[in-house]
Amino acid sequence: MINAISGDSDFIKEMNNSLFTGFVHSTFNRTLNIKCFESGDLFTIACRKLDNGPNTLIVNVDNMKSGKIEVNDRVRVVKNLLFIGDKLTISMDQINEWEGVLPSYPSNEEILKRNVKKMKDYINLHGVGGGMKKKIITENPFEAEVSNMLEKRTYFLMNELVANRISSALPHAVSLVGLGPGLTPSGDDFLTGLFTILNMKNSPLYPNKKLICEEVLRKAKTLTNDISYMTLKKAAIGKVRESLITLLNSLLIEDDEDLILSLNKLLNIGSSSGTDIAYGIVFGMEATIRAGGKVC
Amino acid sequence: MLVQALIKPNTYFDSVSLMSLSTKANQIEEVEQAIIAMGTEMNKEVMKNVGLMTPEVETAGASDLIIVVKATTDELCETAFERINELFTKKNSGKKGKNDIKYSTISSAAGSNPEANLAIIAVNGAYAAREAKKALENDLHVMMFSDNVSVEDEIELKKLAHEKGLLMMGPDCGTAIIGNTALCFANAVRKGNIGIVGASGTGSQEVSVRIHEFGYGISQLIGTGGRDLKEEVGGIMMLDGIQALEDDEETKVIVVVSKPPAPSVEEKVLAKIKTCKKPVVVWFIGGNEEKITEAGAHFAKMSKEAALKAVLLAGADESKLNKRALNIPLIEEVRTKLTPEQKYIRGLFSGGTLADEAMHAAMEKFDNVYSNIQRNPEYRLKDRYTSQDHTFIDFGDDEYTQGKPHPMIDPSTRLERFIQEAKDPSVGVIVMDFVIGYGAHEDPVGAFLPAIIEAKQQAEQEGRHLEIIGYVLGTELDPQDYEEQINKLLAAEVTHASSMQNAGLLAREFVVKGE
Repeated sequence: MINAISGDSDFIKEMNNSLFTGFVHSTFNRTLNIKCFESGDLFTIACRKLDNGPNTLIVNVDNMKSGKIEVNDRVRVVKNLLFIGDKLTISMDQINEWEGVLPSYPSNEEILKRNVKKMKDYINLHGVGGGMKKKIITENPFEAEVSNMLEKRTYFLMNELVANRISSALPHAVSLVGLGPGLTPSGDDFLTGLFTILNMKNSPLYPNKKLICEEVLRKAKTLTNDISYMTLKKAAIGKVRESLITLLNSLLIEDDEDLILSLNKLLNIGSSSGTDIAYGIVFGMEATIRAGGKVC
Repeated sequence: MLVQALIKPNTYFDSVSLMSLSTKANQIEEVEQAIIAMGTEMNKEVMKNVGLMTPEVETAGASDLIIVVKATTDELCETAFERINELFTKKNSGKKGKNDIKYSTISSAAGSNPEANLAIIAVNGAYAAREAKKALENDLHVMMFSDNVSVEDEIELKKLAHEKGLLMMGPDCGTAIIGNTALCFANAVRKGNIGIVGASGTGSQEVSVRIHEFGYGISQLIGTGGRDLKEEVGGIMMLDGIQALEDDEETKVIVVVSKPPAPSVEEKVLAKIKTCKKPVVVWFIGGNEEKITEAGAHFAKMSKEAALKAVLLAGADESKLNKRALNIPLIEEVRTKLTPEQKYIRGLFSGGTLADEAMHAAMEKFDNVYSNIQRNPEYRLKDRYTSQDHTFIDFGDDEYTQGKPHPMIDPSTRLERFIQEAKDPSVGVIVMDFVIGYGAHEDPVGAFLPAIIEAKQQAEQEGRHLEIIGYVLGTELDPQDYEEQINKLLAAEVTHASSMQNAGLLAREFVVKGE
């Protein structure tokens, strides 16, 4: 038996308040995903090297491969114990509840503007190419075409968003879903970053977030894979990984070291996922700043 | 070429593994191209766009993994799939490859490499000053590629370096050759006895390759950073650079390259040159000849002239040099091909100093010369997307590089502008640089070739001649194939200029009317 160290409050509630049964949907070195029969949602068990996130339990192991867990293994929760077949039992007796709360959009944008500029410079220099960040020399025509399409579609999306033409912006946002290499396609990661910003209270684009996020999500169901969809679904209501929230908090204060540390943690996610999310955040911030008073 | 696909239903690999598998799959000998991606609608659209769609890919779902292989025969496709499957099964067993040693701090790098005496700083501008200070405190010379460093930090760093007898090249220093080693954007040139101190990166590159072409070589090329000769910084690095070259036994002649300095700084630099024991050639783009000659320096109006004067001072026999005079018959020929309406030059440059040099050549004959780097605000481009009369654009300027790599690496912005200019019936000539060397694009001419060919055909269909001048800045020792770059230009019927000076002069002369 192993211990859960921390867990998303929604996940814990789900397990405590109702029946929770399911099966192992997918396994990776550091995480495994469970599909819950009752809610139809995906939940993640992640090793201790990873950060907290929506629908995620962090457990006290270094990797998830040692227990020989396989796809389709049955999962059930009984009292404070989560069973994966007869291969692994996770105790939640010592769990710390984690709740990810996004900071509000600041009333004074000056520090934010400076930090967004620094962040953009930093990801342009240190981000991973191949998705939102164009590689100088692309490895193949597929990669080149993906980068071109991402560039064009985000350009049109920005134009419509800052002009407050939300209905025209939606098709461009939808056209990013499922676009790009990786388990979570670059377009999805970008939208995760954008959705995060749209969900910051007091932002000029906040009144439109419901319309944008819900509509994109509605279309996204069939346009991307289950894992990526779940991330988008949560981001659409402002539920994102701890590393994103930490970065947003860093963007609101004047502390360069803190900003770079937070940014490095984000950029380390996946292959190019962290970079693609970072571009989504920068895009969301720029759109919000440019929209300014026009939208409210 | 055959395209075949394999679908793995409901298969998930983390992104890092997928990228790694994709890279390895493309390295398989039989494979022309391999793509591994999730079968989303958008990715299928991409497959279609790049000609990799197959009936199998068409049926794949968003949670399926698609593997597409392009190879010459069915057998080779099958072999490739077998190899890729092997990669999938082996993906967890491989050990990490040996990498170069990576250090987290300047101090640990300096401590582990006591023989190193120079640090290149290329971190975000916000942190560059701090790292440079650490390097100087560790007695390392510094080349700072980073920009967006405050003037206050620059002054502090340069004063510290001066006190410690070290070089502080930069911020925003992109070119240097130290001890015959090219750093950042520089060309492979032979070792020699001419030293360069330059506040202009591509200007210094241009002088170095011309010296190489004349058969001479470079002892050191010291970059100062573009802001060094401004009033606030006071030319600290330029003065230290001249001193360093004066002290350097291998250097016999010194070349100083810069845009015109602030008056007070120019005074200091010329005073320094006056006391210098070695001959100094000064190329201040658009600079004042009288002041420079009064200081005992050798004035050069253009880049090739600077290189020529330097090699003559270094002992070259002028009668044996090929100075590559302008091709006068060609000028006459092109003038006859252009219609009276084709009056304007459009200079599209990746190198700032190269743009400046061509612009100054045009300004000698025309008043209406506009640019994003014009010093006279009246002639600065009002809209960076729209050209006016004779227009010269430095695409390396900040306003064109926001969020993009430098045009010497990424030609896309300049390429788009080329297509736009080529359609303008008032354009007589388009002049462009193609910089090769370390750090530069692996095939800058190749990146433009399809657009050049199409633009020329389009112009011909419209009944006009589109004259394009191309200049390849580089040497036969550079990592790219210098001759091949030139041959590509010639094959596309582009006029190849042998130097930036000639490119600027040819462009100017081509559009002169009624002489």
